[in-house]
Amino acid sequence: MRHFITFTGKELLEMKRNGRLMLFLIIFCLFGIMNPAIAKLTPWLYETLADSLASSGITITEYTVTAMDSWVQFFKNMPMAMLVTVVMFGGLFTSEYAKGTLIPLLAKGMSRGAVVAAKTFTMLLVWSAGYWLSFGITWFYSDYYWDNSAVSHYAFASFGLWLIGVMLLCAITFFSSFADSAAQVLLGVGAVYAVMTLLGMIGTVREYLPTFLVQSAPLLTGEAAPSDYFTAACITAAASAVLAAAAVPVTARRRL
Amino acid sequence: MNVLDIAGLSKSFGSRQVLTDVTLSVPENCVFGFVGRNGAGKTTTMKSIIGLLRPDGGEISVCGERVNYGSGRTNRFIGYLPDVPEFYGYMTAREYMSLCGRVAGMNTGEVRQRTDELLGLVGLSDEKHRIKGYSRGMKQRLGIAQALISRPRLLICDEPTSALDPVGRKEILDIIKDAGRQTSVFFSTHILTDVERICDRVAFLEGGTIALSGDIEEIRRKRGNTAVEIQPEHPSDAAVIAEQFASGEVREGCFVLKNASAQDAELLMQFLLGRHIPVIRFERKEPDLEDMFMEVIGA
Repeated sequence: MRHFITFTGKELLEMKRNGRLMLFLIIFCLFGIMNPAIAKLTPWLYETLADSLASSGITITEYTVTAMDSWVQFFKNMPMAMLVTVVMFGGLFTSEYAKGTLIPLLAKGMSRGAVVAAKTFTMLLVWSAGYWLSFGITWFYSDYYWDNSAVSHYAFASFGLWLIGVMLLCAITFFSSFADSAAQVLLGVGAVYAVMTLLGMIGTVREYLPTFLVQSAPLLTGEAAPSDYFTAACITAAASAVLAAAAVPVTARRRL
Repeated sequence: MNVLDIAGLSKSFGSRQVLTDVTLSVPENCVFGFVGRNGAGKTTTMKSIIGLLRPDGGEISVCGERVNYGSGRTNRFIGYLPDVPEFYGYMTAREYMSLCGRVAGMNTGEVRQRTDELLGLVGLSDEKHRIKGYSRGMKQRLGIAQALISRPRLLICDEPTSALDPVGRKEILDIIKDAGRQTSVFFSTHILTDVERICDRVAFLEGGTIALSGDIEEIRRKRGNTAVEIQPEHPSDAAVIAEQFASGEVREGCFVLKNASAQDAELLMQFLLGRHIPVIRFERKEPDLEDMFMEVIGA
């Protein structure tokens, strides 16, 4: 536990000093503000486009924006933020292994398990803090300009998307236990997502896959209930735990 | 009790056999020089001691406890300075020392006191900059300080002086010598004068095995093949002496007689006097480590 706490402190200091923490903060704030802002600007956008649309035969009658537009933007934009997070954390483990900065600490008896746990925890902490910050900003403005009660289950739908992020970050931990570079790690994580998407094409398997959690639209409109997503959420959580735990024995055998 | 015992250590990388049956012991309070050519397997041996490499065979014990690959348990007795130490460049020396202290399980007060002591010892106490701006010598000095923070019983230094300028080298050697008063030091090098300067014991690693090891003075005595070297004023006279003393040889205008006893030296002098051969230099040469090393590696 002592090693875990010490190393987590080191990871956070590293993120602060190399400016990544600030970058994440800015990115997630921007993503949070963007959702209600785009919703707010939609009528104006349609207005400016009205002339060109009219010439191609499309006429737009008055468009009323609701909180739903803002939340739809949230679920459209957050996967992008997730991608940025995954790419930025892709080399968190491998760059440290390659530089040899761990050697003096391991030579002092630090356990490799603590390193894996602390790095995984840091990724999850930053992702969670950033994600829920975006969520909070979107929630606040959506409620301020419109009314969040017009949208169903937005909190659960957000939880689902957050959970996919958790799983992908745990996949980084897993692939980092044997990969040599950030590129290899990202390739592995990408492959995991691709396989899930392909499997999702099979009708019966679809609702058991983590990717099922991305389908937020039926939840927001109230067509689906959170209970429909229960199995997929459990499987995602279990997969995350297995990926992170499997990294520990593999990292212990890794040549450094 | 020995702080380090290595018995029958072997390791290969693919088809390349790096170590075969390395056996050595480092007693307490001793500065032990581990000498070998580049690529002889010094770093492989050291990484095996701290459990970073899995040996193919043999056993390593530190302070009586067996070293297991991947586990850091025996490392609590060890301070390790890698050949090219890499630190977190965004930290200051003080922050890094504090990180190391906490990893080693020391409390805050202890860490602060030890950091002050050690940064003073290595001459970095006034350094406020972050490590990324450090020179190689400064990194090496910080490397020794971090290795010593938890008062290890065995300090392992992997070629601490090989990349440094003469001033930096002297500083590091002085620090290691100082450290050797409180702890055993196992340090690898290919610079023999460094070994002569600070080590009590030495082991030569050649062909993946220990070719020669022991107390430096004892080795000198055992292998004490004192040579006599005579440099005559006229180089041609060297051949004249060689005619008389057939076991000697002519080398670059000098006459050299290996394994010369005191009596041989006396006979030589009488011969020079008798023949009126003018001499620039008459020297009885104690063998240095370099000669022994060359002899061991057969160069």
